[in-house]
Amino acid sequence: MTQFITAVLTSLSSGAIYALMAIAIVLVWRSTRVINFAQAGQAVLTTYIGYTVIQRTGSFWLALVVAVISGAVIGAVIDRFFMRPIFKRVKSGPIVMIAPVVATLGLLGIIQAIIGFVWGITNQSIEAPVSTGGYKIMGTVIAFSSYNLLVLVFVAVAMLLLTLLFQRTNVGLALRASAYSPEIAKLSGIKVDSVRTLGWALAGAFGGLAGMLYIPGYFLYPNAMDLLLVLGFIAAVIGGLESLFGAFAGGMVLGFAIIFSTTYISPKLFFPTAFIVLIIVLLVKPAGLFAPKKSRGA
Amino acid sequence: MKKAGKVHKPTTTRKRLLLFVLFGWLLLILGDRVGELELYQGSFVATYALAITSVVLLTGYSGQLSLGQSALMAVGAYAGALSIFNAGWHPVIGLIMSALIAGVFGLILGLVAARLSGPYLAGTTLALAISLPTLANQFPILGAEEGIAFDVGPAPARFGEDFSQYKWFFWISALASLIMVFFIVNLLSSRYGRTFKAVRDNPVAAQLSGINVEQLKVSAFAISSGVAGLSGGLLVMLISGVSPSAFPLSLSFSLLGAAVVTGLYNLKGVILGGLVLVAIPEIADSLVSRIGGSDNLTTVLPGFLVSALLILAVVFTPNGPGHLLKKHH
Repeated sequence: MTQFITAVLTSLSSGAIYALMAIAIVLVWRSTRVINFAQAGQAVLTTYIGYTVIQRTGSFWLALVVAVISGAVIGAVIDRFFMRPIFKRVKSGPIVMIAPVVATLGLLGIIQAIIGFVWGITNQSIEAPVSTGGYKIMGTVIAFSSYNLLVLVFVAVAMLLLTLLFQRTNVGLALRASAYSPEIAKLSGIKVDSVRTLGWALAGAFGGLAGMLYIPGYFLYPNAMDLLLVLGFIAAVIGGLESLFGAFAGGMVLGFAIIFSTTYISPKLFFPTAFIVLIIVLLVKPAGLFAPKKSRGA
Repeated sequence: MKKAGKVHKPTTTRKRLLLFVLFGWLLLILGDRVGELELYQGSFVATYALAITSVVLLTGYSGQLSLGQSALMAVGAYAGALSIFNAGWHPVIGLIMSALIAGVFGLILGLVAARLSGPYLAGTTLALAISLPTLANQFPILGAEEGIAFDVGPAPARFGEDFSQYKWFFWISALASLIMVFFIVNLLSSRYGRTFKAVRDNPVAAQLSGINVEQLKVSAFAISSGVAGLSGGLLVMLISGVSPSAFPLSLSFSLLGAAVVTGLYNLKGVILGGLVLVAIPEIADSLVSRIGGSDNLTTVLPGFLVSALLILAVVFTPNGPGHLLKKHH
């Protein structure tokens, strides 16, 4: 029974972090039709910035704020000064689908190389702001701590803010309109290019949040987020890539599947579970669980 | 081999065979003239060129973006290692098994992949690339983290006493790559290869012309997997053993990068791609020793150079270096 409760709780907190990364990927996909592999680099970079803030001031909370803001700035800069020129350049030919993906892969490598050069490639660590010791239930210590609870709260708040932004504000309307039909949005007077950059900025902020919440408990090094990126991507694909709620649900599905299979069957099933869940979802619904009914032809 | 298949004049199979034999003969002469290190690096060039061929075939010709090529190489590597180490078969059979088993695996995977497009396919193959090598830890027969030996043995005695192990590696990898690439080049210049291009450029029109798109995508996946499997077998032959860590995700990325750098839409650049992958760490090393950088710089510079090359290739020659010379509508 204790094992079951532990599994449920850890699934929630792991799934929440996968969901953050998935949302970062979906935000970029909706705005520019690109899978942003550089997101792993962006998230590591903002976490290193947060790490530096912690070294200087000792405050995790200040570091978290700085990481999220710098994530947004980096995302916007990448879109405005890197992706947009590439889209302008590569307009025709069969490469159109592949070029942006390859460009983000290249960007990932460059960001990681720069991080390795500036901060070094040795493992660093970030102390969690609250206790990481597990709670006690019925006399046994479980693998769920105040920190895990904090992660859940943060993800819930971030989701709520994002939903409010998308559903209740004009900016959100512009974001949805540009994702749904860029041409019509442009005709209605929406500055689609700026809205795209905003999408990248939001994604960068979510990546920054994901990085800062993920690293306590793991080590920080230039490739630290590669795994999280892959899991976030899988979660986003499970959710159908288009839907923010789908990304959240995909993260949770993945979290539960991974934690339950590693708890009850074998700890080595971490990656195989992710793959099998993805294959099952795609075989049953090739466009993901929460894909919109009308596909806009990716 | 680079000269095979001129753009405007169709090259016949016989002419192409002659060119390949000529190229192989050149390599043979070259192999006698260079040192051990060059032979070893040459073997890697041949192996990577073959792996890049599999990427070009799959992504360039059939339009399926796969990030899981390293996983298929791993399948081939394990199949070959098991045939040689456990079953005790001849190394040649082992390498054939590498291609065969990976091909069958690719066929099954291709049946799933053909239903997916764009990012969904990329996601699935990415998941495969990270999950498959870790599966090796599950089965004791696959040797867990330590892996299993892949030993092709020393060169036959009839080649003489001073025929080194590295020269033997070079012969095997160059010959295997040449034969495989010859086969692929012929396949692509056949009617079959033209249907590949038709499906990539316009799947709907291809389907209307009576091409079975799904079947073609599946077969492209299977053939590409077979090629990747053989290169995986060759790769672990060069490092004498197969383990999960020999096939990191970064290998898939590097191969895709090299394929883009040298042109996704023809096979003429694959040797160049192999050279690039082998040369970049060397260039980075000599750069660092010249400007006297730190250890950090030595570690990160190769990754930086590959990535920078990737971006430059996308920005300046998105359709490959060949397209700079060709008029395109």
